Amino acid sequence: MNNQNNNSNSNIRRNILDGFSFAFLAVVILFVIFNPTETQQLNLKLNSIIFFIAYVLGAVISHFLNSRGIKTLGEYLFEPSYKKAVETKSMFKSFWGWHLVGLLALLFVVGIFKTKFSIIELLNEDGFNGAKRLFAGIADPNWKILPEAVLNIIETIFMAFMATVLAIPFAFFLSFVSARNIMNGKYTFWIYLAMRTVFNVTRSIEALLWAIIFSVWVGIGPFAGMLALMIHSIASLSKQYSEMVETVNEGPIEGVQSCGANKLQTIWFAIVPQVVLPYISFTVYRWDINVRMATIIGLVGGGGIGTMLIQYQGQAMWSEVGTIIVVIAAVVWIMDQASAYIREALK
Amino acid sequence: MSETILSVKNIVKTYPNGVQALKGVSFDVKKGEFLVIIGLSGSGKSTLLRCLNRLHDPTSGEIIFNDNNAQIDIAKIEHKNDIRNLRKRMGMIFQHFNLIPRHTVLSNVLMGKLSTIGTLKSIFGLFSATDIADAMKYLKLVGIAEKAYIRADQLSGGQQQRVAIARALTQNPKVLLADEPVASLDPATCHTVMDYLRKVNQELGITIICNLHFLSLVRQYATRVIALKGGELMYEGDPKNIDDAWFERIYGAGAKEVHIN
Repeated sequence: MNNQNNNSNSNIRRNILDGFSFAFLAVVILFVIFNPTETQQLNLKLNSIIFFIAYVLGAVISHFLNSRGIKTLGEYLFEPSYKKAVETKSMFKSFWGWHLVGLLALLFVVGIFKTKFSIIELLNEDGFNGAKRLFAGIADPNWKILPEAVLNIIETIFMAFMATVLAIPFAFFLSFVSARNIMNGKYTFWIYLAMRTVFNVTRSIEALLWAIIFSVWVGIGPFAGMLALMIHSIASLSKQYSEMVETVNEGPIEGVQSCGANKLQTIWFAIVPQVVLPYISFTVYRWDINVRMATIIGLVGGGGIGTMLIQYQGQAMWSEVGTIIVVIAAVVWIMDQASAYIREALK
Repeated sequence: MSETILSVKNIVKTYPNGVQALKGVSFDVKKGEFLVIIGLSGSGKSTLLRCLNRLHDPTSGEIIFNDNNAQIDIAKIEHKNDIRNLRKRMGMIFQHFNLIPRHTVLSNVLMGKLSTIGTLKSIFGLFSATDIADAMKYLKLVGIAEKAYIRADQLSGGQQQRVAIARALTQNPKVLLADEPVASLDPATCHTVMDYLRKVNQELGITIICNLHFLSLVRQYATRVIALKGGELMYEGDPKNIDDAWFERIYGAGAKEVHIN
């Protein structure tokens, strides 16, 4: 039963990978042959239909090849471990090896076109001189704005601090609601699934986007940045915390339950003591991450040192930018070291 | 001595993955006896104990609990509060002691009062003076009162098991379940722990149901023994009557008895 499940899962994954790599190849070939105009490229409906047909064709080909004993890349990657045999053949004598090499080469070539990669631009003298001016400015910081930069970085540090602190109670509560070994009842399992989905969606929206949303909602400034970081921290911490809850030792849980503890008492006495140190460790690390993120978030109006940086950058005042970079680097380095030492001590 | 405290009738436990751990086991437990359950690993001993205090739910069968002339069927209890009430009257100790490692010994023993104290009070650690006195009394009984304020994970295995006994006693139980209480201890400590269990049995009159591996221990401590094999009852009676022929039937042909002193 389990084996069968694994098998069909790995077959689905194989078909997706092989189907996509074939469809990718097909689309690139079609593009080279027909050289479509911009309006044709923007015709999403038709293009996705073509891509989908190619994808299905690829999946069928993959199925056909594998049933004939020719291993595709998808099969090689996703085949269940019980089927895996020791490979004696060189990878360049196998189908999947050339599949892999071909796919990477094609991706690289398309990548060159898509990123408009150009050696000429990189070595252009005018551009190069511009960059030289920039580096000269950064290398010669304007220390007059140092007091302002320090004030702003303090704002950034506190944005990160508040975001972390305010996220703790939410994440603490949610970590139990989204831990599988606690939500193992008939109905509570659905709550667990729902919570996991919400966290995954929330985390997949970058803090940068949350900052844009909140800067519209509460206005540009550190408050918006703090809220954005908080949302992101809640989702990340909840997930990390709940993973800790899922790996606790079952022994104390049984011990406390055998004394007649109810659910809340079981969590408090058997689970919390086991997870509290990792929680603190994760939280300190999150603060450290939040300081770095708060800098970036400032670029889109989240306040703090990031907002200051984007202002000077807009006016091409490179010496001032240099000062800010030095301040950011110093603070990030200090935070990084401090959080590493604290986490080490907590082990 | 003759009064029946627990009457297990045809108990079956099938796990969700299809494994049938107990295939209709029936036996009686007399009040005040030291009943030992023997059998190979996987024979259903632990499952049986856990069905008695409902850490596991039996699939079918009856477990009649005779307490103060009131009979309840443990297998049929559904409400959470009733299960708490049951566990209050049944202490349990485990192979791996199952203490809270980062808490003090005293705080671990106070867990035995969780079923009688309010949830909020317990979470804020507001145990009453009588509760604490009770906990200290049982720590003294197992001879470990001087370690009350030491973290539980600082103690040796034998000491941790004694703390676990004190925790179970603090519940003031009628029955004490012991799931392989000495399986992770060295032979010397093993006897200390078993001696304390006998003391609890004889001085406090608490009925003990205990899973054990070593027949030498069984002969020394048990008043009666039952043997499980593959989820079925194989033997019931006096531990002294288990001879080589019975030993082979319980543990399989070719098994050799190991003696510990």
